[in-house]
This record gives sequence, C-alpha cells and structure tokens, in this order.
Amino acid sequence: MDNLILKVCTKVLFTPIILFGLYVQFHGDFGPGGGFQAGVIVAAAFILYALVFSVEDCKVIMPPKLNFFLLALGAFLYGFVGVIGLILGDPYLSYDVLGSTKEAGQHVGILLVEFGVGLTVCNVMISLFYSFADFDFGKKNND
Amino acid sequence: MIGEIIINAFLVTLMLTIAVFIINTRKVISTILLTGTYSLVAALMFVSLDAVDVAFTEASVGAGISTILFLAALSYLPKEEKEEKFNIKHIYAICTCTIVAALLIWASYDLPLVGQLENPVHQNLAQDFIEGSRNHIGIPNVVTSILASYRGYDTFGETVVIYTAGIAVLVLLYDGVSKNSKINKEKNK
Repeated sequence: MDNLILKVCTKVLFTPIILFGLYVQFHGDFGPGGGFQAGVIVAAAFILYALVFSVEDCKVIMPPKLNFFLLALGAFLYGFVGVIGLILGDPYLSYDVLGSTKEAGQHVGILLVEFGVGLTVCNVMISLFYSFADFDFGKKNND
Repeated sequence: MIGEIIINAFLVTLMLTIAVFIINTRKVISTILLTGTYSLVAALMFVSLDAVDVAFTEASVGAGISTILFLAALSYLPKEEKEEKFNIKHIYAICTCTIVAALLIWASYDLPLVGQLENPVHQNLAQDFIEGSRNHIGIPNVVTSILASYRGYDTFGETVVIYTAGIAVLVLLYDGVSKNSKINKEKNK
C-alpha cells in the first residue's frame, strides 16, 4: 500500500498499541484484562504493520522463527510455573511457595502464568496471519 | 431500572437488525464487517451485564482479531456469494432452526432471573472465591484470581488448546509458505 498518511499513522500508533497491550497484560490483577486480551492487542499492532507496509517488512521486526519459539515458550512457561511449585512441595499450579509469603507467591504465579498466556496468544495470532497472508491457495490448486 | 431496560432493548434490536443484514447481504466483505459489528454490540451487552472482562475479550477477539483474520483470508475468496434458489435444503434448515429455537426458549423458562442473590451460582463457591481473592490471593480483580489461580488447570488447558490450534494451522499452511516464498525469490532474481 502506497499511502503516506496510513504509513505515518501506523508508525505513530505502533508503539502506543504495544504499550497498551503491556498495560492490559500486567494490570490484569487490578482491572479488566489479562493474557488473552493483551496477546490479541499486541498481535493487532504487528498485523496493522503488516497490512500497511508488507508482510515481508513485518517479518523483519518479527521473524517467523522467533515467532514459533515464543509461541511454544508461552505454553511451556505456564506448565513450568506449575512444575516449580511441584518441586518445592506444593500441588501442581498452586503458587503459594513461589514468594516469601503466600500472597506474594500467588502474585508471582499469576503474573508469570498470565505472561505465558499472553505470549502464546500473541504469537499464535501473528503466525496465523502470516500463514493466511503468504499462502497461495490458487497456486496450490493449479498444481 | 427503566434506563437499563431501554439500553438492553436498544442493544437487542441493534443485534437483530445486524443479523438480518448479515443474512441478506451477498458481498463477503460486508458480511465480515457486519459480523465484527455484531461482536462489538455483544461486547456492549456484556458491559451492561457488568462482565467487563468478558466484554474486553469479546471486543478484542471477536470484533478485532477475527475480523482482521477474515479480511486476510478474503483475498482468496470470491467477492460475492452465489445466488441460490429456494430448494429442499432450505426447508430442512428452517425446520432445524425452528425446533432448536423453540427448545431453547422453552428451556429458558427454567433459568433463574439474572442478578438475583439467591441464584444457585451465587450460593456455592462464589462466596469462597470472593473472600479468598481478597484474603488469600490479595488482588482486587476476582476474575483474574479465579482464572489464573483457582481455575489454573482450565486456563492451562485453554492455552494448550490455542497452542495446538496454532501449530495445526502452521502444519497445514506453513509448508506451502516456505515453498512459495522460495519460488517468489527465485522469480525476483
């Protein structure tokens, strides 16, 4: 797309959208929000960039390989937080032992777990967009 | 109270109008955009029910990202839906819809009224969760403490479902991507 206004607006908007995503991610304990919504908002920023510039430009700032790695890391982080509790002698996914007090442990656990959810959701959405944007259905059928 | 009724009536009317437009339109792009609008109105409905977290999810996932993904898929679809004449399939569909709708409306008479204190949902675990969220977990948003702590297993399941779905789509589509991009690069050279 060769529209100067769109390009400038996207450059201005890109950072605030990600910042808002991070706010939703880490403010989820106190207000509405959490991993799912934050992941989608951050993914929307990258998709906006890919729509206005091009998918190839977006792949420079978010390479598919990094994308796949973070996609798996999110789900792994969630499971791993549970395993840490298990090693320290608590039931799976109960966060009491992660901090100095029970309450602090719960805070740490919820923060990490929500971050894992956010990572997975964000990167699944971006890779779905990459797949749709790049895949040549017509070509595949003609072969 | 009256204000709430007016707002709900307005939202329901808006949703029904959008649904009728979705059925009537033949252009795929209008269908996609109207579906996004429908999700946005649903989000407003959740706000009026005081379910802000659900409304946030509906607005960002339903109206935001799924509309964008549909638009990305749009370039592979025909611009307009085919006109179809009335046939026996439509009669089956109408019968099924009528029966299911009648059953749902009949079942809705057994539902408790929304927002009553003596409803079953408020009787069992809800009180423990609300008190525990303040005393044991210490965060103000009860939804987050239920989602991430009390029901951590369920959320883990959801995350793994999203992860698996993403991997499945990549397995189906990404193979083609790498091949095509190689072909494109060779062409450009």
